[in-house]
Amino acid sequence: MKILVVDDDLHIQRLYKEELTEEGYEVVVAANGVEAMEMFESENPDIVTLDIRLPDVDGIHLLRQMKEKKPKLPIIMSTAYDYRDDFSVWASEAYIVKSSDLGELKSMIKRLLVKE
Amino acid sequence: MDHSLVTEIRQNLESIIENFPDAIVTFDLDGVVTSWNRGAEEMYGFTKAEAMGRFLPFVPGFLVDAEREKIGRIRNGEVFKDYETIRQKKDGAILDASLTLSPLKDTEERIVGAICISRDISDKKRIEKELVRRNQELSRLFFISSAMRGTVKLGRLLRMILTAVTMSDGLGFNRAILFLVDENRGSLKGAMGVGPASSEEAFQIWSRLSLERKTLSDIMHDIETGPLRKDSFLDKLTLSIEISLSEDTILTRAVKERRSFNIQDVKAEPLSDFILTQQLSTQAYAVAPLISRDKVIGIIWVDNHFNRRPILDEDMRFLSSFSNQVASVVESAGLFEQVALAEQEMKNIFDSISDMVFSSTKDYVLTKINRAVSEKLGKPAEEIIGKKCYEVFHGRNEPRRKCPHHKTVRTGKPYVGELDEPHLGGTFLTSSSPIFDSAGEFIGTVHVARDITEIKKLEKQLIMAQRMAALGEVAARVAHDIRNPLVSIGGFARRLEKHLEGNLKEYATIIAREVAGLEKILSEILAYVRGVSLEKRMVNVDSLVEEVAGVMKSELDEKQIILVKSLNALSEVSMDPGNVREALLNILSNAIHAIGRDGTIIVKTAIENNYAVIEIKDTGCGISEEILQFIFDPFFTTKGSGNTGLGLTISHKIIEQHNGRIEVESKPHEGSTFKVFLPLESEE
Repeated sequence: MKILVVDDDLHIQRLYKEELTEEGYEVVVAANGVEAMEMFESENPDIVTLDIRLPDVDGIHLLRQMKEKKPKLPIIMSTAYDYRDDFSVWASEAYIVKSSDLGELKSMIKRLLVKE
Repeated sequence: MDHSLVTEIRQNLESIIENFPDAIVTFDLDGVVTSWNRGAEEMYGFTKAEAMGRFLPFVPGFLVDAEREKIGRIRNGEVFKDYETIRQKKDGAILDASLTLSPLKDTEERIVGAICISRDISDKKRIEKELVRRNQELSRLFFISSAMRGTVKLGRLLRMILTAVTMSDGLGFNRAILFLVDENRGSLKGAMGVGPASSEEAFQIWSRLSLERKTLSDIMHDIETGPLRKDSFLDKLTLSIEISLSEDTILTRAVKERRSFNIQDVKAEPLSDFILTQQLSTQAYAVAPLISRDKVIGIIWVDNHFNRRPILDEDMRFLSSFSNQVASVVESAGLFEQVALAEQEMKNIFDSISDMVFSSTKDYVLTKINRAVSEKLGKPAEEIIGKKCYEVFHGRNEPRRKCPHHKTVRTGKPYVGELDEPHLGGTFLTSSSPIFDSAGEFIGTVHVARDITEIKKLEKQLIMAQRMAALGEVAARVAHDIRNPLVSIGGFARRLEKHLEGNLKEYATIIAREVAGLEKILSEILAYVRGVSLEKRMVNVDSLVEEVAGVMKSELDEKQIILVKSLNALSEVSMDPGNVREALLNILSNAIHAIGRDGTIIVKTAIENNYAVIEIKDTGCGISEEILQFIFDPFFTTKGSGNTGLGLTISHKIIEQHNGRIEVESKPHEGSTFKVFLPLESEE
């Protein structure tokens, strides 16, 4: 199973990559919107974790683009700021506020991939 | 439906909205104007072209943040009805407006904006202010009117005077007319006339009177008790006369020169008034001024038209002394009439004031109330007047110390104060002005009490909204600049933890745990700033309380605190269970903290007046009165460092968003009782 992690914070990118790799996933990373869409096309991931604030584009905008291309692909919005009452976030499968404890993220990924 | 019909209906609707006199504006969720009707153009001065596509142009700068917060709440489906606020016109002028704001949905029921209907209530506000200002002035009139009650009415009094002038055993003139000075208009106005219309009528009256043998006092009695009519020929003629004091005639000279005139031949007197020569066809007449307290208040005009008897010097002396006698009586009767009018006018004003207005004696007995008082109390005036004001308004058997009336009674000075009236269910801005009698003795007070409960609430909301908006901007940046590094620090510490041994592992554990603590605090702050959104469903109140108690069980056991439950709500309430659980947990955890060790917490649930009530009572240290007012404020804490001071603020906010409320009672050293009220039926 392949996870695309989109986050402009390089440390967080690396943390996610190492932790999720240990869980047995293949992890690819992108640091901005352009990279993210390229990876999305070329790597064909099974699930995406998507930061909302990115240097080039809005994560919500990316969410829409990805959903248009692959409506069934599960996407987890993973952000530093709580955007839960922003309606557009509802288009994603799941929503999580970034935490140093990745337990919740891991179980969320597991659950969404099982559902697939 | 036929497509053209739909189009037609839509066009009709649009044209109604376009031409509606109230300002109707729609805007999207960013506050950008999407439609602007003619009412809005008139009220705010911006043309449609100027307003479209802009952020709400009528919101004054200092309210922009509060407005955005409102839009945020509309986004959650909230509706604001008749809420009063301030708006700014294109020319910068501020106006008071009453607004109704409701969400605008697209065909798929998604909220895409809002519709705002506003009405200019500046005039209403100004009138209300003006009325309060006049309160004191009116209180004096109040007194005069009651002091003079029982005095003879002006109309009857004048009739008596003129009859006395024309009766044969009075002054014996044929006709008499009374003119009164109207100071406002600068004129002499005919007030009343007595005398026959023609020689025939004069003859009939004289013969009848001689047959009836009525004396002057008989006739006076008749006038006082009989019906008062002002419809004789002379009355009607008289009432139509108005002579400007700027004209130079005999009548105006009598006023200006304050003296009598005896005109024995009209033709020889060029200054004779046109009205007298033409309408009354008088040949000879006399005029005497009515002087009261050095002021000419009117004149009496007489002639002997029918019997042609010349007016002699002794007639003039008689007329003058009579005039002097009656002048002061006329003046006071006139004053009385003015007061009566003023009183009537004031009663009308009183009754139309939406504020409660009432007067009470220095012994606290209510003497006058307006309609708003009986409406507020739901009782007719008769059941209120005569009662003690503190019984009626405060439901007590002694005066309240804070009551402005009480202060005025003690000091004799006017007072203004805000007063919470639990008995009337609200907060009132009350002003009290003393009334003095003619001897300067304090006899009571007049009050105006305005219900400011709503305004208070709005004020609080406004302050809160402004505080939050400022905090919101900081929070968004804090979230990114602090949370990301925290995640990295904590995340890698956890990774170290897995790969290290001994002391080093322990160090990594400490870092990971501390970071987790910081993240939790950050989340609390952000949750508070963002506001809480609700996902409501029907939840059994008692089971929720059980669940909350369960979560705290280990902590309660550890601190040897006994939890007593008495759950009798037995019903379901529409709520966001996660949020309400959070709210109750915060309160319960506060109760535990207040006790420390060894104590009792009693949790009760019940149904009271359409509310599910959850009561959490502890035997802890209690909260002093000074602190009690701050406990729901953000960042207020007595627990020392490591605590955000947001727990109760969040609880309060959650319960408020459920249209409920939290009440707190507390006594230092005895404990506190928190009561959470959740409406059984949500008001949406």
